[in-house]
Amino acid sequence: MCVWCLGSLMKEDRIQGVGQLRNAECGLRNNDSFRNPKSEIRNREDHRVVITGLGIVSSIGIGKEAFWENCLRGTSGIKPIRGFDVGAYQSCLGAQIPEIDFKAFIKPANLRRMDRIGKIVVSSVRLAIDDSGLNLKGEDSNRVGISIGTGLGSSDTVDQFFRSLLKEGPIGAAPLLFQTAVPNAITSHCAIEYGIKGVNITFSHKESSTEMAMVFAYHLLKEGRTDIMFAGGGDELSEPLYHVYSMLGVLSPGRRKGIEGMRPFDQDRNGIVLGEGSGILVLETLEHAKKRGAKIYAEMAGVGLSGSIDGLLRYDLKGDSIARAMSLAAQKLGTVDYISAAANSTPDLDRAEALGIKKVYKERTKEISVSSFKSMVGEFDGSGGVRACGLALSLYQGMIPPTIGTKHLDPQCDLNVILGQSKKMEIRSAILNGCSNGGSNISLWFKNYSSP
Amino acid sequence: MRKRVVITGLGVVSAVGNSLPEFWQSLIEGKDGIKEITVFDPSAYRTKIAAEVSHLDPEAHFSKKEIRRLSRCDQFGLIAFREAWKSARLDQDSHDKERVGVVLGAGSGGILSVEKYFRDFYQGTKKSPPSLLISYSLATTTDHIAIESGLRGPRTTTATVCSSSSASIGVAYEMIQMGLADVMVTGGSDSLCEVSYSGFSSLKLVDPENCKPFDKRRQGLVIGEGAGVLILEEREHALKRKAPIHAEFLGFGICADAYHLTAPEPNGEGVERVVRIALAHAGVSPEEVDTINAHGTATPFNDIAETRGIKRVFGERAKEIPISGIKSMIGHCLGSAGGIEAVATVMTLETGVIPPTIHYEVPDPLCDLNYTPNQSVKKDVRVALSNSFAFGGNNVCLVFRKFDERG
Repeated sequence: MCVWCLGSLMKEDRIQGVGQLRNAECGLRNNDSFRNPKSEIRNREDHRVVITGLGIVSSIGIGKEAFWENCLRGTSGIKPIRGFDVGAYQSCLGAQIPEIDFKAFIKPANLRRMDRIGKIVVSSVRLAIDDSGLNLKGEDSNRVGISIGTGLGSSDTVDQFFRSLLKEGPIGAAPLLFQTAVPNAITSHCAIEYGIKGVNITFSHKESSTEMAMVFAYHLLKEGRTDIMFAGGGDELSEPLYHVYSMLGVLSPGRRKGIEGMRPFDQDRNGIVLGEGSGILVLETLEHAKKRGAKIYAEMAGVGLSGSIDGLLRYDLKGDSIARAMSLAAQKLGTVDYISAAANSTPDLDRAEALGIKKVYKERTKEISVSSFKSMVGEFDGSGGVRACGLALSLYQGMIPPTIGTKHLDPQCDLNVILGQSKKMEIRSAILNGCSNGGSNISLWFKNYSSP
Repeated sequence: MRKRVVITGLGVVSAVGNSLPEFWQSLIEGKDGIKEITVFDPSAYRTKIAAEVSHLDPEAHFSKKEIRRLSRCDQFGLIAFREAWKSARLDQDSHDKERVGVVLGAGSGGILSVEKYFRDFYQGTKKSPPSLLISYSLATTTDHIAIESGLRGPRTTTATVCSSSSASIGVAYEMIQMGLADVMVTGGSDSLCEVSYSGFSSLKLVDPENCKPFDKRRQGLVIGEGAGVLILEEREHALKRKAPIHAEFLGFGICADAYHLTAPEPNGEGVERVVRIALAHAGVSPEEVDTINAHGTATPFNDIAETRGIKRVFGERAKEIPISGIKSMIGHCLGSAGGIEAVATVMTLETGVIPPTIHYEVPDPLCDLNYTPNQSVKKDVRVALSNSFAFGGNNVCLVFRKFDERG
């Protein structure tokens, strides 16, 4: 029994007849640092953080096996848009996930409370739990948390809600729609579905949303504030979103010349193709993972964040900020063999990222393999989750999937981009970049767990 | 050792004042900022009130071109940021811009602009400029602030709506702990819009008269708007440049009820946990807590759950701790609620005045604590908590302490 709870608990038991709380339920472990908060709590713990589970729902596969097979083959998830009419737009492609029977992942009673993005993310958490072999019932639920990133969350639900409001006035506003329309509903769905009572947070910052979710989870684990974190997230491709992206002129080909498609680092790249999906990492402290004999895909060993200030819809133009995020993330830059790029087939970002990589690695640049998962799954704000799962698999399997669609490398992006075919190689450590327009740049550093 | 973090700047835009001195004066006088809505036509709604920001002349702060580009939410955020930035004397002192970041909390963000675009689009009456869609992302205000002042440190946006800007303060604190920044701009900004107004309305959570937290007659929340921005700074960095220090930020708790999408866990178990986690993180014992800035939305369930949670942590002593529910004056500002309330909590520590919960007349047997009814109270406070709870039981509790250069 935790000493802090004793007094109030005994009173509570008499007053409200609340059943006796187990120590675990008060959120504090019965250890000395909590008994004597003044002297010890301010000491920072320093844990190693490892990736022990992957949950992927993507346009090129549900579950890590299907996803990885398609990655290595260089399969594109990009197809003509299904589900709504694209006649009014100058683009017609998207990387949509196939029809899924969500009943396979989520309790039917809970399904009806969730909208599509909720179902997608909750399913990816289910896949991650299964893949990690975790028995959540056996864990202290206060020490299990979730950190989700989503750029636009329930954009479709918000749109439905707004249209019903326009059509019928306030009477038409449906409470069920509203409660799922808030961005953190996705995270709440997961917490309720799996009884995750620890840390619970949602980030929404354009294309670096999910990267930030992983940064926060990593930091709390490192400091020993939690044992297990589900980190990642995703986005859905909805009609209102397609409309907004199209009107803002970021879709390929939009008002530009050329053929529609994703081709990161290509000299003829002309914008993004929207995708969707969700990827969840199970992050755990090394002690906890070892204790339960978990399979370890890779170690998450560092994070770097920086901001660029080139404009509200502009990426980092000169690559300085991207370079700084990468340098901050990887304490041993010399061991980095692979960079999973944020390059999204826009003229600006791909050039800036190439500049950033060259600024960091100088003459070593050509030794570092670079590829963009976005070439297969499209670009979406919450793509970091899926890409991080891919990177963990790359480290674990020693394979780098190709960047597809790219034929003529832009001379300004003269990196060692893996084109056409996947490449087998031992990766000591790797960087995942997430760069948002407006200028939030985040790099995550993953290490091969078996390498020293 | 963890780094110690202090607050060196504050800025506010709210229904009861568009600057820190005006805001604080109104709070301690118990001024009600709730009135009839003007930003959209409320005639079709059962309730017609909100805590709307008024007497704010955008042209006094922005050029015509900027006004066209900035959503109402961006404007509030920028105005509060500029006040906080200046009060922290960061406009004069030299600092490394690469080590200054921004983490804001968002609620509905610039949806007011997006609503305007889509209303015209769906009704087909006229064509609105696509530039209104820039506000589609919740990150827009955060980016505006960073770009305006050239801040090149870490940047992100939290999106847990009603607890967003409290969570953002926790995240900003961790950015300093991670060694990525010396100074963080944090808090949040939010503006009224029909989507959130009709949403809370549809859930029958809005009081048609006024906002009366913890009172037996309470019927629900009243939506507000505004911005609350705090400058968090690593203590040594602040001392070195002799910055004005308002208070120390000791730590925070964050957890989930994992109970229901909208309703809080009724016994206050989630509230208890988040407060305990926060106290443990801050290294403070429950006996040291002198005041609590409550979430106090005035919805029937929230206030009971929060009261129960506080009792579960503090036992008999709970009745002695003055609690204030300032949503009675500034409404529930959603994405900026936690930020504005954190500003008020810091001011309480600095000035020794606890703002009241106004419209408190009829005690509720289920809410039987000291809510500082109607009159502010003078008390020397050393440790203060600020609670924020969101939909889905996303709970955050922040712990602040009076600044002491020797301690």
